[in-house]
Amino acid sequence: MDALVAQYSRPAHQEGFADEDQQQLTADIQPPLSLKFALPPIASSQQWLRAMTDDNSNPNCPIKIAHGTTTLAFRFKGGIIVATDSRATAGNWIASQTVKKVIEINSCLLGTMAGGAADCQYWLAYLGMQCRLHELRHKRRITVCAASKILANLVYSYKGMGLSMGTMCAGVTPSEGPALYYIDSDGTRLAGNLFCVGSGQTFAYGVLDAQYNYDLSDEDALELGRRSILAATHRDAFSGGFINLYHVKEDGWVKHGFTDTNGVFWDTKLNKGEFSNVTANLD
Amino acid sequence: MASLFNAQSMLDQPSYSFAQPTSHSEPRQHSFYPYTDNGGSTLGISGQDFAILAGDTRSTSGYNINTRYAPKLFKIGGDGPNNTGSKIVLSVVGFAADGRALKERLDTVVKMYKYQHGKDISVGACAQRLSHILYSKRFFPYYVTAILGGIDEEGKGALYSYDPVGSYEREQCRAAGAASSLIMPFLDNQVNLKNQYDASQPQGFGKEPLKPQPLSRPHVESLVNDAFTSAVERHIEVGDGLQMMIITKDGIEETYAPLKKD
Amino acid sequence: MNHFPQAWGRPRDDVYGQYNPSYLPQSHGGTQQPITHTQSPIVTGTSVIAIKFKTGVVIAADNLASYGSLARFTDVHRLKHFNRKSVVGVGGDVSDMQYLDRLLKSLDVEENYSTGSHTAEESETDPAMMGANNLHTYLSKVMYKRRSDFNPLWNALLVAGLDEKNKPFLASADLLGTTFSGPTMATGFGAHLAQPIMRRIVPDEAASQQLGREEAVQAVRDCMKVLFYRDARSMPEYSIAVIDEKGVELKEKEVLENQSWDFADKIRGYGTQTV
Repeated sequence: MDALVAQYSRPAHQEGFADEDQQQLTADIQPPLSLKFALPPIASSQQWLRAMTDDNSNPNCPIKIAHGTTTLAFRFKGGIIVATDSRATAGNWIASQTVKKVIEINSCLLGTMAGGAADCQYWLAYLGMQCRLHELRHKRRITVCAASKILANLVYSYKGMGLSMGTMCAGVTPSEGPALYYIDSDGTRLAGNLFCVGSGQTFAYGVLDAQYNYDLSDEDALELGRRSILAATHRDAFSGGFINLYHVKEDGWVKHGFTDTNGVFWDTKLNKGEFSNVTANLD
Repeated sequence: MASLFNAQSMLDQPSYSFAQPTSHSEPRQHSFYPYTDNGGSTLGISGQDFAILAGDTRSTSGYNINTRYAPKLFKIGGDGPNNTGSKIVLSVVGFAADGRALKERLDTVVKMYKYQHGKDISVGACAQRLSHILYSKRFFPYYVTAILGGIDEEGKGALYSYDPVGSYEREQCRAAGAASSLIMPFLDNQVNLKNQYDASQPQGFGKEPLKPQPLSRPHVESLVNDAFTSAVERHIEVGDGLQMMIITKDGIEETYAPLKKD
Repeated sequence: MNHFPQAWGRPRDDVYGQYNPSYLPQSHGGTQQPITHTQSPIVTGTSVIAIKFKTGVVIAADNLASYGSLARFTDVHRLKHFNRKSVVGVGGDVSDMQYLDRLLKSLDVEENYSTGSHTAEESETDPAMMGANNLHTYLSKVMYKRRSDFNPLWNALLVAGLDEKNKPFLASADLLGTTFSGPTMATGFGAHLAQPIMRRIVPDEAASQQLGREEAVQAVRDCMKVLFYRDARSMPEYSIAVIDEKGVELKEKEVLENQSWDFADKIRGYGTQTV
C-alpha cells in the first residue's frame, strides 16, 4: 500500500535530474573497485538479469557473457600445479582463444578463472587488493586460507544475484605449506588436494584421477596437468585454445608456458601413441 | 545438499552438449524492454608503434536505417568537448544509448584523472578503469561490446577488448558487433596468421606454422578496408561509411571513407 | 550455479526459479508482447518529419492525437517552440509530451534566470542562448535516465534548430535514449514512408547544404501529404515550423492542399478485394 501511495503521490512534475548525475560523478571520481552496483529498478532483478544473460536456457538471449572452461589444480609433494585452457565462449561463438585464466594475485598466490570471465577478473582483482591491504596492516603475507575466505564471504554476500564463478586459490605460505582452495559463486569453499572446474571438468578428472599421486616428480606433475587439460580440450567443445601451465613453489610461482593445444595434441598422438581413436592418415 | 544437487531434473530428458531451446509456458508478464541493437561493426588492430580502430557509421533499428552517419569511435580524454590532444580511442557497438553513456563516463574519469594527477592516464590504467565501469553495471549491463585503443608506456600500440560486463584482455586484433563473426576469422588468418604454414618447409604433421610479424601501417589500413568492404557485402546492418582512427605517439588521425549504401 | 557440464556456470532453476522469458521480446526467444508493456502509450501522436536545408531546418507534424484507432483530439500541437533557435517535435504518448513541455518551460525559465537576460529582447539576442544541440543533449539525457529507471517517456523526439554557431541542427531521441542525427529525420510511420522520399531529395549532408528554404518546405509538405494518404493515424491539418537565423516561423493550422485520391481507385489486393 505504501508503495502504491508513494507511486501516485510523486510531485506532479519532476524538476531535474541533477542529484543523481552528481552522485554518479562522485562515484566515478571515487577509487575504482567499489562495491556499488547499479541494479535494474524492478522487483525481480535476478530473474531479469537471467532472462538477459542465460544463453543456456535461451540461446537467443541478447547479452552473452563469456563462459566455458576447463581449469585444474592439484597439490603434490613439489607444490601445486595449476593448469587451464584458454577458450572463452559466448553462446556458440568462440569469443577468444587467448584468455589468461590463471590470475596472478601476487607473487605467491594464483587464482583460476571459470564461469563468468568478468566476475572472476573483477573479484580476483578485488581479492588482490584485499591481500595487499592485509599485508600492509599485519606486516606479513596473507595465508591462502584467509585469502580464500575473503573471496568466499564476498561472493556469498552476492548469492542469488547471478554471479557465476568457480575459482581455485593456490599458494604456498610458510605457515600452511602448499594450500589449495576451491571457491564458487554458491559460496562453497573447500580445501583439497585436487580440483577440476568448468564445463570440461569431467574429462580432466578422468585423466587426473587415473594418474594422480602425491609423490609425483615435478616433471611428471607438470605433464599430468598438461595431459588432463589436453583431454578436456579434446572432448569438450567449450574448452580449447592454449594450455596455460603454472607451478607454485615455496618461493613463488613459476610459469611453464602458454602452449597451443594443437601442437601438444599431435605430439601426444604421434610420439606417445595416445589418442588412437583419431586417424593419422594424411592421404 | 541433496536438493541442491538434484541430478534427476537434468537427466530425465535427453540432453545434448549444445543448448536446447526451452519451451516457455510460464506466467506472462508485460514489461519494458530497455535495450535495442543498433547494429554496425567495429574492429581494432594494434601495430608496432600505432593502433587502429575502425567502425562503420550506419545506425539501424530493425530493418530501418536511422542514419548513415553515427560514429562508433570516440576520443577519450584530451581537452575540451572535442578531446583535442587525446591519445585514447574507445569504440562501442551494440545499444547506442548505452554506448554513449559509457563513453561519457569514461571520458569524465579520464579528464578527472588529469585534473587530479596532473598527467595523462596510461592506456593500461584507462583499460582497467573501463572494465570497472562496465562491471559496476554487472546486474543491469550496458549492452555494448567495447574496444579501447592507445599507445602503451613503451610506445607500442595497445588494444583492449571487452565483453558487456567488463572482462577484458589485451590483444593484437579484435572485431566486434554485428559482423564480428565475419571479420574475426579473417583477422585471425591475416593478422595472427592462424592456420598458415611455411610452404618452404616439409609438410605433414610437423609442418611449421607461420609466425605473426608486426604489420606496417599501410598494410593494416588495407586489411581494415578489406574487412569492412567484405562485411558490407554480407551483412545488412553494416555499411554507409567507414570511420578510422589511427593512434600514434603524435596523436590521433581520423579518416572517413564511403562504403556501399545499399 | 549449475555444475553439470552441459550448462556449467549457468543459473540453476532450483535456485533462480524457472527461466522467465517474459522479460524478452520475441526476437530474442522471449514471450514478451511486442507493444503491450507495464506502461504503454494511450493517447498518441504519429510521425514527426524534418529536413535540414542550407540555412536552417523545416519540421512538421500533424495535429492529431489518437486514442487507439479513434481520432480523438484534432487540435493538438506537437511542435514545441523552445527558444529563437529551437523547436522540438514530439511523437508518441501525448501525456508524456505534455510532461516534456512542462520540463522545457521550466528549463527555459531557469535559462533566462541564469543567463541574466531580463527582458524579452535581451533573451532574444543573448549570445549564450541554448542552441538546439544543447537542448537535444538535455532531452536525450532525460530520456535515457527515464529508460534506466524502467519508467520511460513513451516518445520519439526530433530536435530541430540552430546550434551555437548558427549551423542547422537536427537530431532525434527516443524512449530508450537512443540518439542519432542526419540531414533528414522521421519518427514513427514517417521512418518508413517519408524518409525514403526525403532521402531522395537530400541523400547526404552536402546535398542539404545546397537545398533552399522553399524546396525544403515543399518537400516536407509533400511528405505530409503522402503520410496522410497511407498513415491511418494521421489527419490533414498539421503544424510546420521553419527555424533559421531569422528565428522560428511556426504555423499550427496548415491544411494539406492539392490532395489527389486518384490512386485509391486503382488499389487492388487488400482484404477481400482481390480483383
